Amino acid sequence: MKKFLALALALIMMLAVSAPALAAQDAYVFWYTFGDVYLSTVRDAMDVEMKEEGLNAINQDANGQQATQTDQVNTALVSGASALVINVCESGSIGVAETLLNAAKAYDLPCVFFNRALSTDDAEVKALLDSYEKTVFVGTLFDQAGKMQGDMIGQYVLDNYDAIDLNGDGVITYVMFKGDEANQEAIFRTQYGVENADAILTAAGKPALKFYDEGNASKYLVDLNGTWSNTASFEYMQTILAQYNEANGNMVELVIANNDDMALGAVNALTVAGYNTGEEGAKVIPVFGVDATDAAKELIANGRMVGTIKQDNVGMADAVAHITANLVNGKDKFDALNENYTIVDGWMVAIPYAVYTGE
Amino acid sequence: MQNFKALSNKDKGRYIANWMLDHAMIIIIILMAIYVQSQKPAFFKIPSLVNILSLTAVRLPMALGVAGCIILAGTDLSGGRVAGLTAFISAILLQKAGASGKFLPNLTPPNLLLVILAVMAIGAIVGLVNGFCMGKFKLHPFIVTLATQMITYGVYLTVSGSKQISSLDTSYTTSFVTKSLFKIGPTSVPMYVLLAIILTAIVWFIWNKTTFGKNMFAVGSNEEAARVSGVNVLLTIVGVFMMAGALYGYTGFVEAARLGGSTATLGLNYESDAIAAVVIGGVSFVGGTGKISGVILGVFMMQLIMSGMTFLGISGNVTYIIKGAVILVACILDMRKYMVKK
Repeated sequence: MKKFLALALALIMMLAVSAPALAAQDAYVFWYTFGDVYLSTVRDAMDVEMKEEGLNAINQDANGQQATQTDQVNTALVSGASALVINVCESGSIGVAETLLNAAKAYDLPCVFFNRALSTDDAEVKALLDSYEKTVFVGTLFDQAGKMQGDMIGQYVLDNYDAIDLNGDGVITYVMFKGDEANQEAIFRTQYGVENADAILTAAGKPALKFYDEGNASKYLVDLNGTWSNTASFEYMQTILAQYNEANGNMVELVIANNDDMALGAVNALTVAGYNTGEEGAKVIPVFGVDATDAAKELIANGRMVGTIKQDNVGMADAVAHITANLVNGKDKFDALNENYTIVDGWMVAIPYAVYTGE
Repeated sequence: MQNFKALSNKDKGRYIANWMLDHAMIIIIILMAIYVQSQKPAFFKIPSLVNILSLTAVRLPMALGVAGCIILAGTDLSGGRVAGLTAFISAILLQKAGASGKFLPNLTPPNLLLVILAVMAIGAIVGLVNGFCMGKFKLHPFIVTLATQMITYGVYLTVSGSKQISSLDTSYTTSFVTKSLFKIGPTSVPMYVLLAIILTAIVWFIWNKTTFGKNMFAVGSNEEAARVSGVNVLLTIVGVFMMAGALYGYTGFVEAARLGGSTATLGLNYESDAIAAVVIGGVSFVGGTGKISGVILGVFMMQLIMSGMTFLGISGNVTYIIKGAVILVACILDMRKYMVKK
């Protein structure tokens, strides 16, 4: 046994000496989970964009676990990576981002964060990212999606008020599905999705939206695993429908979800109960999401969902790939960046959102 | 080896084939490592080796804990969530004084040793429940530990309110857990490697040099026989699970510092990685067999595979397939030994 191990080690060492040097420019891309539908569309786009920038994207899946991701980053650093591109798992915990950034600093490598916020406090993130030249955060303005979603909902509800108010009590009851308790985007979407809608409704003399369950002070239902999943919203919606329905006169009249995957879960549960089937004459509870995934677009086309907010997956991928390439090639990080993206305070690049209610 | 020369040629062939099969797991992994090395020459350079060593040191304590449970012909699924809970407790106790949104605003960070002991005690309490239910009520450990896993997670969520804890005191993180022990070139070996070595030495002593350790193996290989020969079976089972719990508690302490914070997903599925590593290391689910050296080797091999796949840039999708296949092969090879005996 010992002899065998010694032999094997000797072999490995011989290889270590004789193997040729590494030439390729590998950009390691760390995804918080391959299970996220929207991010999968970014990943596909990123593979293409990276190649166009002359980089080889190597995708790693952390499966939602920060420990896995931190291990992957450390391993990539010693493997001779040219750049780190990180979709951080623990969004909202600056210490985690700091640990990762320090690791990149130690190897003097570009480290681009994207999509998932690093903290709920922008000043904190700015301070961290300003401490290192070769880093930037590519994301969206955290409140924008929620505000646009809220505006869209407010306008839609106003235009179709009587049809939506199933029990005719003059008040629209809603349910809100939150993707992750501590994620900054989730927090803002949950807040503004309702606040902005209320602003439009009350300005037009209508009462504000009312959460379906008065006993729930938080006014949302959250995916306890923090994965923004349709499983969570499906199960919640099914439970709700067992208790709240038209026969009892307390049917939930509006569904707002932090993302399309959760909207999809809600639509599926509604379909089981005979709503939003897409068939002629079937009742539709308006469902709103964010992301404009293919699944959501199809639901909207079939009339089973009303609207979503489009996150520009190609724009996100393009910005990340372009900035990474700039840093790898020693150029200014914002060199020749597409003008549609907004540079915020030198530490962030914001990709704009758009309303989507069908082609 | 002397016997080997006396064998006929045919038997020699069989002997070699058997030896290869008995060690197939290690051979496969070494071949894998050689392949990675041929593709990415940085794999067996110092920084990479130190990285694998550090990763092994993080995973080892939990694996040692689970290994004890598996030697009892049981298992323990509560490990990950216990680590999650104790990571949270370590983090709130050792949060920087004056950090914005501090969980316990008026607390100044207490003595580190005190915190380590406290979180290990908390882990041991979960282990006590596990061991007691298993030993006293003859419940299958799978279901007992599944239940305590959920309860632990629920307690964690309730106490923490799902808050993420960040801004840890540097006396805990960079000045202790992740502090550089010494440097090999530019690569530093962190403190938690030394801590893992100390813990491993303690566990080795308990397993091999104490009556309790011998009882553990006795209960694992044949509970009835152990009982008849005067071993206190209940106490042994409770002890093994408590030791495991304490080791999970320690894992949480290190993880929070290493990652720079504590969150709800911390610890998720750690136990399955630990169980897989232990099985690769030759600790048998049949019970009663296993060595510390095997556990170390198992964890090391597992990290070698994971690290190797990152080096090769293998997509996350394929990583799961390879990991699963390795575990399956390890189990088949393990059972093969017992089938031959029968």
